Amino acid sequence: MSTLQDQLNAQLQSKSLPVSPAWLTTFLSTGTHQRTPLPALTKTALFRLLNTDFRESLIPRAPTSVLPVDIFDPTAQERRLPGPIPLQVLDIEDIGTSIWNQVEAIERIERGEAVRGREIVRTVNVGDEQDGNNEADNAGGNANAGAPTNANESNGPHRLILQDARGTRAVGIEMNQINGVAVMQLSIGSKLLLKNATVARGMILLTPESVTLLGGKIEVMDLAWKAGRKARLLEKITGTGAGGV
Amino acid sequence: MAGTKVLCVAEKPAIAKAVAQHLSGGHVQTSAVTGNRFVKNYTFDFNFGGQLGNSSVTMTSVLGHLTGLDFERQYTGWTSCPPAHLFEAPVRIDVADDKKAIANNIIKQARHHQYLVIWTDCDREGEHIGTEVRDQAKAGNNRIIVKRAKFNNTERVHVLNAARSLIELDERQANAVAARIELDLRIGAAFTRLLTLQLQNLHDTLTQRVISYGSCQFPTLGFVVDRFLRVKRFKPENFWGIKVTHSRDDIKVKFLWKRVHLFDRAAVTMMLERCLMAKKAKVTKVNQKPTSKWRPLPLTTVDLQMMGTKYLRMESSKVMKIAENLYTRGFISYPRTETDQFDKGIDLKKLVEKQLPDQNWGQYAQGLLDGNFRTPRAGRHNDQAHPPIHPVCWVNRTALTADEHKVYEFVARRFLACCSDDAKGQSTDVEIQYGDEMFHARGLLVLERNYLNVYVYDKWESTQQLPNYRVGELFEPTEANMFDGKTSPPNYLTEPELIGLMDANGIGTDATMAEHIKKIKDREYIGVQPQGTGRNAISLLIPTRLGIALILGYDDVFAGIPDSPSLSKPFLRKQMELEMRDVCSGTRLRTHVVQQNLDMYRELFIHTQMRMNMLKAAFRKYIVEEEDV
Repeated sequence: MSTLQDQLNAQLQSKSLPVSPAWLTTFLSTGTHQRTPLPALTKTALFRLLNTDFRESLIPRAPTSVLPVDIFDPTAQERRLPGPIPLQVLDIEDIGTSIWNQVEAIERIERGEAVRGREIVRTVNVGDEQDGNNEADNAGGNANAGAPTNANESNGPHRLILQDARGTRAVGIEMNQINGVAVMQLSIGSKLLLKNATVARGMILLTPESVTLLGGKIEVMDLAWKAGRKARLLEKITGTGAGGV
Repeated sequence: MAGTKVLCVAEKPAIAKAVAQHLSGGHVQTSAVTGNRFVKNYTFDFNFGGQLGNSSVTMTSVLGHLTGLDFERQYTGWTSCPPAHLFEAPVRIDVADDKKAIANNIIKQARHHQYLVIWTDCDREGEHIGTEVRDQAKAGNNRIIVKRAKFNNTERVHVLNAARSLIELDERQANAVAARIELDLRIGAAFTRLLTLQLQNLHDTLTQRVISYGSCQFPTLGFVVDRFLRVKRFKPENFWGIKVTHSRDDIKVKFLWKRVHLFDRAAVTMMLERCLMAKKAKVTKVNQKPTSKWRPLPLTTVDLQMMGTKYLRMESSKVMKIAENLYTRGFISYPRTETDQFDKGIDLKKLVEKQLPDQNWGQYAQGLLDGNFRTPRAGRHNDQAHPPIHPVCWVNRTALTADEHKVYEFVARRFLACCSDDAKGQSTDVEIQYGDEMFHARGLLVLERNYLNVYVYDKWESTQQLPNYRVGELFEPTEANMFDGKTSPPNYLTEPELIGLMDANGIGTDATMAEHIKKIKDREYIGVQPQGTGRNAISLLIPTRLGIALILGYDDVFAGIPDSPSLSKPFLRKQMELEMRDVCSGTRLRTHVVQQNLDMYRELFIHTQMRMNMLKAAFRKYIVEEEDV
């Protein structure tokens, strides 16, 4: 083991990323890294690492840096995950917006209608009061409520499927809005660190305090996910008739 | 004694009569016009002041447009030429057959008059009709001097003022109309002939039917079809939410969830459990503040049509027709206006005063004069031509039909509401945190109804009052439950919504929207389906199979073309309307605008021809095979 590999290993460990020696070796053997200063080299390594599959590039040593294998257990009312746990995103869903609204938004974009140059088909609500003093009927089931005008925006909260380096999967619910967590914005295969998180009934409660987004993505997965998004959404509502989840 | 000889021409007989009455003071001689039983000539004396001075006046009128634009004779037959040729085929302006007598009357009168004063309505169309009248008058007397009266209602003092401060005709506005007429003729005729000839023989129900195209008609139909498809294709979904109630001081307060509802049952169950685990909720915000519901803005045409269809339950074209009639008879101001701000110079209190005799709102008007009067809010629109629609004088209910009175009442109440104070109230907002979740409750107490007393169309009611809460206080909610529900499809489009969509997307002018809607009804592209009864009755606009086939077929024709040109979407027409405004303001020339638009539509036309099979396929699918969308 060369000193450089040790140094790099230590750098990545300090970022809570227990990188596998094999991955590091491959990384160092491709390209002329010998003369690159350590900070720059760490950056390059981090960038590459965030675009890998953590199941191949990380080897967790401490049990606290992976998810408990029974994390999904719905009988567990509450438990804590001190972490830090490096995770990758496998799926993201907006559970605050109806699937049908999301499909319509996608279709508006497909038709080139939502934004054509700077033109937008404007919609109107007749009878809406301009002074905003009226009670919003919150319990109402109006499908138009809160519809995003752009398929690249989502209101949330979001439901994420997360995966650790050992391949254990868990559901995460965005309890408070986290900057950067949005459909089409948070890439599939992008990475995050989970620290001091609460798990309730098998769901990890995601908050700005417990989640640090690291970025990155797994290109193939991300492309496939985006290409298949509409079909998956449609399947969910047509498959079960009227099923939500 | 009267020296100058002045010929006055109005747009409609009723205006000619009203203006003649006011100018003459009642001493007027009426004579018939040979060949037309509606138009009359009125002769009287009037002192215009200024250059014209004491004059002997002949006042007459036209009946809207005098002339029409059409292709030269050899192009008028449906199969006389390939439809594409209509983009450049020669056109001519002719006096319509049924207007010949009126034109002759103007030519004859012009011969022995020195001045021509145009009294057509002060809008773009009126300006163009003015140039048509001028051209006829010049044909009779090349040296006649042309002036224009600027007026927007037929109230006496207003008319007298207009007569004494004459201006010039605005050629630019007339040019914009001429450009619009030419584009509508060429584009409409080319596409209509193409569609009719190609599609007519596809099904029995289509034979003999004209399948028309209009650059406003299509986007209007597009809105109706688009909504129809959204309703038809809609898939309901389940959602879940949390509601919290708390009883205090014998009041059961309902707190609403900040997240409203979510589409993930497991997540909501988990969130509810975490609320219950927390046991106590904490008051995070108590906000008590005065609130008000604003009085409406001064009335525009679009608003009149939207509110008219919504509250008076009439078709917008009917509302406009009645408003037109009320204007011609001098009861309300000109009903075609975009302006939602009153000019500083207008004496609003005087207009309020005129409403005093009314049994229903006269007393309210008196209240305004006794100190409740407020200067109306000013909107952001001003077409620089007409004030907002307002009552000019009071009219007894017995002088009007029931529908006429409904429209008049709306205009009058709306005007009085504009001159009133906002409704005042006090609102209380309480926000609580319960577990990880936020909830809120709101109470409203209406303190002063003000404008609501006269504007019966708006609703603002007190809600249940909230008990006292202190910020930071902890309490145990009485109940916290999960509720569920299902999303519901949007409603079919209604006429007020359609007008709103047309307005927001620049389809038609405020003056023509109602006509476009009527057109697609007459063409049987859409039908009207009543829903509900009594006060809740609404009319839903539903496309016919023909309407659906046209829009979906056309969408297929243009699918995948770069820059997504679309005849069923409003963009192209909006662009055209904007260019008309450029012609009006003088920043662009009429010929350029016409040429550029023709070039663009010609391209779309060629494309339609090339992919006609897509349209035919849609027709077969939806009309012949009656397939569902």
